[in-house]
Amino acid sequence: MASATNGGESYNFKVVLLGEGCVGKTSLVLRYVEDKFNSKHISTIQASFLNKKINLDGNRVNLAIWDTAGQEKFHALGPIYYRSSNGAVLVYDITDEDSFQKVKSWVKELRKMLGVDISLVIVGNKSDLEKDRHVTLEEAKEYAEKVKALHFQTSAKLNEGVEDMFLALTQKMLDDAKKKKAQENLLIGQNSQRTVTVVDDEAETTKRGCCGSN
Amino acid sequence: MDGENDKSSFWKKNVKTVPGRPSPKRDGKTSSKGKTPTSTSFQDFQASVSDAWDMDDDEFCVISGLENTKISKRVSQSAAINVLNTHRCTTEVESPPEEQVTTDKQLLPNCDNSAKVNRIPGRPKQLHCLNPPQEEDSESKLERFLTLLENPPSLQELCKLSWSGIPVKVRGITWRLLSGYLPINIERRDGVLERKRKDYWTLVEKYYYTEHDETNRDIQHQINIDVPRMNPSIPLFQQKTVQLMFERILFIWSIRHPASGYVQGINDLVTPFYVVFLQEFIPDSSSFETFNVTELTEDQRKIIEADSFWCLSKFLDGIQDNYVFAQIGIQKKVLQLEELIKRVDEPLHRHLKQHNVCYLQFSFRWLNNLLTRELPLRCTIRLWDTYLAENDSFATFQLYVCAAFLLYWKEDLLQEHDFQGLLLLLQNLPTQSWTSSQVSVLVAEAYKLKVMFADAPNHLQSNSGDS
Ligand SMILES: Nc1nc2c(ncn2[C@@H]2O[C@H](COP(=O)(O)OP(=O)(O)OP(=O)(O)O)[C@@H](O)[C@H]2O)c(=O)[nH]1
Ligand SMILES: [Mg+2]
Repeated sequence: MASATNGGESYNFKVVLLGEGCVGKTSLVLRYVEDKFNSKHISTIQASFLNKKINLDGNRVNLAIWDTAGQEKFHALGPIYYRSSNGAVLVYDITDEDSFQKVKSWVKELRKMLGVDISLVIVGNKSDLEKDRHVTLEEAKEYAEKVKALHFQTSAKLNEGVEDMFLALTQKMLDDAKKKKAQENLLIGQNSQRTVTVVDDEAETTKRGCCGSN
Repeated sequence: MDGENDKSSFWKKNVKTVPGRPSPKRDGKTSSKGKTPTSTSFQDFQASVSDAWDMDDDEFCVISGLENTKISKRVSQSAAINVLNTHRCTTEVESPPEEQVTTDKQLLPNCDNSAKVNRIPGRPKQLHCLNPPQEEDSESKLERFLTLLENPPSLQELCKLSWSGIPVKVRGITWRLLSGYLPINIERRDGVLERKRKDYWTLVEKYYYTEHDETNRDIQHQINIDVPRMNPSIPLFQQKTVQLMFERILFIWSIRHPASGYVQGINDLVTPFYVVFLQEFIPDSSSFETFNVTELTEDQRKIIEADSFWCLSKFLDGIQDNYVFAQIGIQKKVLQLEELIKRVDEPLHRHLKQHNVCYLQFSFRWLNNLLTRELPLRCTIRLWDTYLAENDSFATFQLYVCAAFLLYWKEDLLQEHDFQGLLLLLQNLPTQSWTSSQVSVLVAEAYKLKVMFADAPNHLQSNSGDS
């Protein structure tokens, strides 16, 4: 199943961004995927799809990224996007305590629905607005550690920490995937419930479900 | 979703204080009263407002006891699970064992791959001679409008004429008439307009410029973060005065519709009305995109705002279930869209499915924002001509428009051979250079679909999980 090319392998990971409205999810993704920042862009309706190909330690990784809408109203459709995700980026705005609480409730929901099968990174965005900070770094880090999530501070505006954050998450998903594969090799014949899709470059392996795949 | 009668689970946000949030606007005028409006006092107020509207014009969607409704974790979770199940069973079952619908089969003869003759490729051949209302040259059209509007027009005739596009000069008045805001009866018009405009400003005084309770603060917050991000490429919408007008319209609409409240995207639906009513006051030569609204008198601005509000309200009445909890109306329409495409263009449907594309992933936004996010503003306005002319059947017509829109891109979609290519295309369809003529093609195609399925009202339900 793994397509080995020159020693490296190809992976296809699904990543979902979650967090309150206006914390900068779209800004982060656009910064990462297109290296753009626009102080005025439109609010997200439901979810937008983007992708990015990267090379990490000789592994070719394709990130399929779902940037979801922050409004509470759309929350009911959240499962469609996080189901079968390999990673989640939970974003808050460091100037908005409320948005940090929202991250906590997402963590609860994700852990409950998906257990530890999903790699989490908690991201405090708008680090350029230090003077208006309402969520301390210590508090956020401590919480992230407690729930076994990575933690990063970013500024989509100044392009600080964005790439590092996505790379660290990818690394974690990669490690998990490899670990999982090693386990699977032990239990030959056993079907694991949710695994990373290892793909041939072109044809993506069809997985269960529809919204969840890729 | 089995949402039809499920009014018990209307959405209510967790209410909590919002530290660090911009506080709601208080212009001092009435804030000293500091009274928190409740929906009860609002109903009282509503009852006391003498109303010029026809009977059903002003349904107030105040659901009794709403303010005490809490959605428990369990309920909201089970709603989420329902959502998942609905979409899982309709998407994972690749091909239903038997075609369930038999009655209307003969209506859909050529649902095969062969028909590639139309401008929109891959469409079934036409069954009857389906001639949607014709586009005509604008001069003579304007004249026909002027003649029609001279006397009290019959609404039917007005719809017919408007369906294929309304000239800018008469668009404002025609939209008011079509949305049922302006009475057909000419003698009544001035009185009604004056009263409704006054009513709007009374609502604003009473509910906008007062202390908000927590729910309303949440609404206000969401509106405040959305409005500045609206139409970023058009300078008009960056003006503070314009943004304040939108904020008031949206806030008043939201508190009058507590079952849905404000949903992201509704702001985009105000835009066409706003622009059309604004255009009535700006000189022919200047473009609205860069117009400075402070050049208008205060009275003029008040008219634009109040009329946008009332017309928006009428417009959204038919599609309110799009915006209630879990957006059941939209979910249903997504399923119907899928069903429709499956029937009229099986190859395209199969292509999407083969690459694991879910209709929800692209058409939710189409439906939630009525294509405003997919089309340039000038095209949206042209599309609204038809929507308003469709009147009560607009809610279903919208579905056919989405179907026609998807079919329009068939060739491009078939060129894409993976999920990513498809999704990126579907979410960024190249319509930048569209003009009203593409919209006319679009609605004409939608019209054909509508006629084709009009005799088979049940077919869309066949597989849409309306259990
Ligand atoms: N100062 C500063 N502003 C930012 C930063 N990132 C985003 N913003 C601003 O925050 C606002 C919201 O950004 P979005 O990226 O649209 O937020 P979102 O989380 O995608 O919002 P929804 O789509 O509504 O859920 C925009 O005005 C951005 O310009 C940042 O790092 N620093
Ligand atoms: Mg966004």
